Amino acid sequence: MRQQVYLWVTVANVILTFVFSKWWPTVELVNIALLYLLPVLMGAVYGGRGPSLYAATLGLVSFNYFFVPPFFSFAVSDLRNLSTFVVFYVVAVLTASLASRLKAQLKESERKEGYTASLYAISREMSAFTDIQSLLHNVSDQVSISVGAPAVIYLPDDLDVLAVSASTKQPDDWGSGDAELTIADWVYRNGNRAGKGTSTLNASKGLYLPLRTEDRVHGVLGVKLDDVVLSSDSVSFLEALGGLAAIAMARVKLSEEAKLAQLTAESEQLRTAILDSVSHELRTPLASMIGSAGALMDNDALFTSQDRMELLGTIRDGALRMNRLVSNLLGMVQLESGMLRLRKQWCDAEDMISVVLSQVRDFQHNRKLKVIIAETIPPIPGDEVLLEQVLTNVVSNAIKYSPDGSEIVIEVLTVGAEVSIAVADQGMGIEPAAIERVFDKFYRADKTSHLPGTGLGLAICKGIVELHGGHISAAPNGGRGTVITIRLPLQNQENSLEHMLERSMDAHERTR
Amino acid sequence: MSAPDKGAKILIIDDEPQIRKLLKVTLHAHHYDVAEAGSGEEGILQASMSHPDLIVLDLGLPDMGGMDVLRRIREWSQTPIIVLTARDREEDKIAALDDGADDYVTKPFGMGELVARIRVALRHVAGSVSEPVLRFGALTIDLAMRNVELGGERVKLTPTEYDLLKTLASNGGKVMTQRQLLQQVWGRHYGETEQHYLRIYVGHLRKKLESDTTRPQYILTEPGIGYRFAVED
Repeated sequence: MRQQVYLWVTVANVILTFVFSKWWPTVELVNIALLYLLPVLMGAVYGGRGPSLYAATLGLVSFNYFFVPPFFSFAVSDLRNLSTFVVFYVVAVLTASLASRLKAQLKESERKEGYTASLYAISREMSAFTDIQSLLHNVSDQVSISVGAPAVIYLPDDLDVLAVSASTKQPDDWGSGDAELTIADWVYRNGNRAGKGTSTLNASKGLYLPLRTEDRVHGVLGVKLDDVVLSSDSVSFLEALGGLAAIAMARVKLSEEAKLAQLTAESEQLRTAILDSVSHELRTPLASMIGSAGALMDNDALFTSQDRMELLGTIRDGALRMNRLVSNLLGMVQLESGMLRLRKQWCDAEDMISVVLSQVRDFQHNRKLKVIIAETIPPIPGDEVLLEQVLTNVVSNAIKYSPDGSEIVIEVLTVGAEVSIAVADQGMGIEPAAIERVFDKFYRADKTSHLPGTGLGLAICKGIVELHGGHISAAPNGGRGTVITIRLPLQNQENSLEHMLERSMDAHERTR
Repeated sequence: MSAPDKGAKILIIDDEPQIRKLLKVTLHAHHYDVAEAGSGEEGILQASMSHPDLIVLDLGLPDMGGMDVLRRIREWSQTPIIVLTARDREEDKIAALDDGADDYVTKPFGMGELVARIRVALRHVAGSVSEPVLRFGALTIDLAMRNVELGGERVKLTPTEYDLLKTLASNGGKVMTQRQLLQQVWGRHYGETEQHYLRIYVGHLRKKLESDTTRPQYILTEPGIGYRFAVED
């Protein structure tokens, strides 16, 4: 770059000299001297002090050699010309230094503008960042672009041990070595800067600044300086940037704490509901079981065999009730913790309903279960076991809340790209106000409080159906009872999977 | 059910003393001999020492895992094994069945269910199913003639439907995983990805055999696992 300026200045000088030699002697000597200032200015603006002084000297020499008598000699015959030289040289030097200072100021303000732009970019990002990690990467990138040195950001882990969290690309692994980590750790613990250009560990290669807000240090910014010497405003810039990063981290921490507080409050509320429900649902059967077993053991001789069977039945029913509660609680926990993974396969609606019917056979008593399945139900993509669990739960509810001898209708049909499974009973129905809430955890309608139940069944159903991308809803069944409708999406029906399969199997059959 | 399984020796491998006690008392009442093991290691040892006719194995053993016990025993013994599993562990059940378990019972279980499974497993060992004609109520399957009759009337089946029915019926009472059925009916290279074949063919069979396809009498679905051909006990 600098060499190029020297070259251009020289070329300009040669051209000027050539032009003047054509014009001369029609032009005044003073004008020629003034025009020789042009390359000087050029050198000052583009190259600074060195090239401009070079241009001045070159101009003076050419002027003297070609245009001041005696020609083609450095000798000066007229002493007045000597003063022209001095004035020329002084003007040239002054111009050169002014121009180069201007240039330095321009450079400086460009650099400051760069800093301001970096700070502006980071602070704008801060107002809307979602990912602290990418923000830190941007901070370290901005540092290395602005200062021209690789940067590393250290953050403490859960055990309060510092580790590299973000760093700019660099050929060696600077920043993650033991030496760097030790200094960074010192900075983190003490909250003071260290490294090159500071009073602590000045001999080190890097500069380490704490990322701090008022009350605490959140991490450490390390910059690999090597031989670069930072100006005081570069250091201020680094501190400002570090401050922004610290504020961002403080904000993340605060929002995490707020979320935790909210969660705690919610779980507090939920815990009360769980305790009420679970303690009631556990204690009631336990009391009857313990009582019955105790009675049987203490007074065996007193009971007729029919009494004995009754007490044993009580024990079994109580245990079954507790088993249902435990299954529901476990199911809920699995759903809420996201542990439940779907084992998707093609499920056959008729097949699933056959299992459900066999499951509820023992307690449906005299209720009539009517099944209406459209002939053309395609296979449903889903987890067979879980969908059966949903259906069993819904059908069991229909049985539980409807009088003996009434009819329950299970209807399966396709609606657009979905399959709809509706279970309609003629039972006590759901209050319009509760129609949404029945799918809430631990919610139980007031008028059902005399019946055992945890308020978990439908919540689990909803969770499972939604995992399948489906929808479950409750509605009044005409004038009497409830319809629960489950809608599950069917995939790629335009391929008509069933037909495809039938065809491939027919082909298979023929070749056998 | 009459004599063949009376006095058979059953080994219970379960770490829970309560469950062992329950099984011991009730199996005794059903006239079975009972041996117990409280850990997997002990179970394997007992299986080789006491020559049981059937093993009831809890899959949730603390020391080495029921699956390992199952595989170790299967390395040298064909003794029928019925596994006890928790409710929502379909993968475990399938893995156990595909690895050589004969059947499974889900905890908490009724003793009636367990005893029925034990009887079916012992009966299959006794080889009483190698008869040429299988009868299940109104359904008759003549293996020699490849002829199926329902209520005295011949049922027309495609070759695949017949093979599927034959496989299910000759394993009557025993659960068959989807994979076992696919491999036995369609051949070795069929696996889980073709399980919808099975579903569709079971649907066809039910249409031809069952009076109400939503309340099947013969081919029962074992949710998430496979199918079981019902036998009266």
